[in-house]
Amino acid sequence: MDMSNVREDHTFSIADILDGQLETSDEIEIGRVADIEAEWREDGQLVLTNLITGPQALAGRVSSHLRPIFRFFLRDRFEQRIALKEVEQYGPTLRLRGKAAEYPVGQSEKWIADHILRWIPGSGYSRS
Amino acid sequence: MKKQWLSLALGVVTATGGFLDAGTIATSGEAGAKFGLGLIWAVVVATIAVILMVEMVGRFTAVSQKTYADAIRENFGFKFYLLPLSSELIAESLMLTAEIGGIAIALSLFTGISWHYLFPVAAFIVWLMAWRAPFDLIENGPAILGLLTLSFIAGIAVLGGPSPQLLTTLWHPQIQSGNLADYLYLVAAILGATISPYLLYFYSSGALEENWSAGSLLLNRVTAIVGMSFGSVGSMALVFLAAMVLQPLNMTSNTLGELGLAMAKPLGIVGSLLFAAVLFTTCLGAALEVVLGVSYNISQGFGWEWSEGKKPVEAARFNLVLTIFVIVAIIIGLLGIDPLQLALFASTIIALFLPISLSPFLILMNDPQYLGDKTNGRFTNIAVICILVIAFIVALVSLPLEIFTGGG
Repeated sequence: MDMSNVREDHTFSIADILDGQLETSDEIEIGRVADIEAEWREDGQLVLTNLITGPQALAGRVSSHLRPIFRFFLRDRFEQRIALKEVEQYGPTLRLRGKAAEYPVGQSEKWIADHILRWIPGSGYSRS
Repeated sequence: MKKQWLSLALGVVTATGGFLDAGTIATSGEAGAKFGLGLIWAVVVATIAVILMVEMVGRFTAVSQKTYADAIRENFGFKFYLLPLSSELIAESLMLTAEIGGIAIALSLFTGISWHYLFPVAAFIVWLMAWRAPFDLIENGPAILGLLTLSFIAGIAVLGGPSPQLLTTLWHPQIQSGNLADYLYLVAAILGATISPYLLYFYSSGALEENWSAGSLLLNRVTAIVGMSFGSVGSMALVFLAAMVLQPLNMTSNTLGELGLAMAKPLGIVGSLLFAAVLFTTCLGAALEVVLGVSYNISQGFGWEWSEGKKPVEAARFNLVLTIFVIVAIIIGLLGIDPLQLALFASTIIALFLPISLSPFLILMNDPQYLGDKTNGRFTNIAVICILVIAFIVALVSLPLEIFTGGG
């Protein structure tokens, strides 16, 4: 695991990252880590690469049998990846370097505001 | 210092209002009408439990700066989180329907229109306040009006207080042979109505909305004890009133509106109006706490933006959840189940689910990672476990009996 962006006095287990809150640099909570992706490098090292969010990953956490069923219906449409190097600060809350608008995770927030809430009076919607 | 005392006063008022709702009014009224003062002990046990719980959840959030839902997901993982989440969704959708029904019945006492027609109006009021009202209005508005509950005590005084004969039912409940299932069902319902888990999600989120810190601990403890005790007095006063007015009339299977007779007898039309006002404000306050409690729970569990301080589009998923939850309650309301019976049933279901919804809480309260040196003492742990076990067993025994014998 590439630990160059983690402060030295902290060691982390996977459990600390899994289910952690994802917060962007503009202090928006965009979701939680559903799964972690790793790859075997040629030198035999296992390197964590991406944080994953989405219903398929969550279904897989509940039961491995559910994962293919969810994949068949959702076809990876709602699964999102965030590269681990985007994480600026580790802990129960994972602080990301970029702003909320830069990440595919949490875009449902905007979709719901644009397509549903805007029709309800008092939602505070303004075209921007 | 002055500000501290102001916020203490508000906190106490809030806790008082938060104690009473459709569930506690239904269970207190039924308890008094059916068993005299024979269930006051259950109200006392429930009060101790809710004081402990509210103190604990305030302490948890003030020290850890985490809400209960945050901590369940982060500490126990997604798969486990689904358990308290689904038990909460089942129980609280029934409870929300009952609270909205309570508001509708209160409106019907004022206007004379059937509560069935007023149900959508009541649901709309709840949704509108959850949608746009700021947090402090939601917390303090209904709560201050909830002080009207103290008029129940005036009702008891006007009737000249309980007779010595009635007082003996305090320690010697009269349970006829066929009534044991009913008695146990009410014990479970009283515990479930008072120790509602939505309070945990609502209170811990509220503590963050109001920027509590480790310096708020004394305030937290005083608020929990004084506020919940006050609320409990209102609840017990209704048991007394129902025992003094409804039991002699043999009104043992009531509706929420008929419970108002307990206030109409001592205070006439004013009493009826006071009862309707109490029903309206406490059910409105509780309906908002339920809607927000569930929406906070889901949003925090999935890591979405949440806050009553933001415009709906700035916390879109949170506001969509609360809108859908009110719609679900309207759909359940279309079944036309009497709100009092629904409140009793929902309270008993909550009692049954208490071990699921509260055991993770008890584990977290003993975790120094979250609480440092402010973890639970042994007395608190043992007391909470005992109450959870009692609530669960009584609910487990009485629910099937109540369902198969048709209740009442």
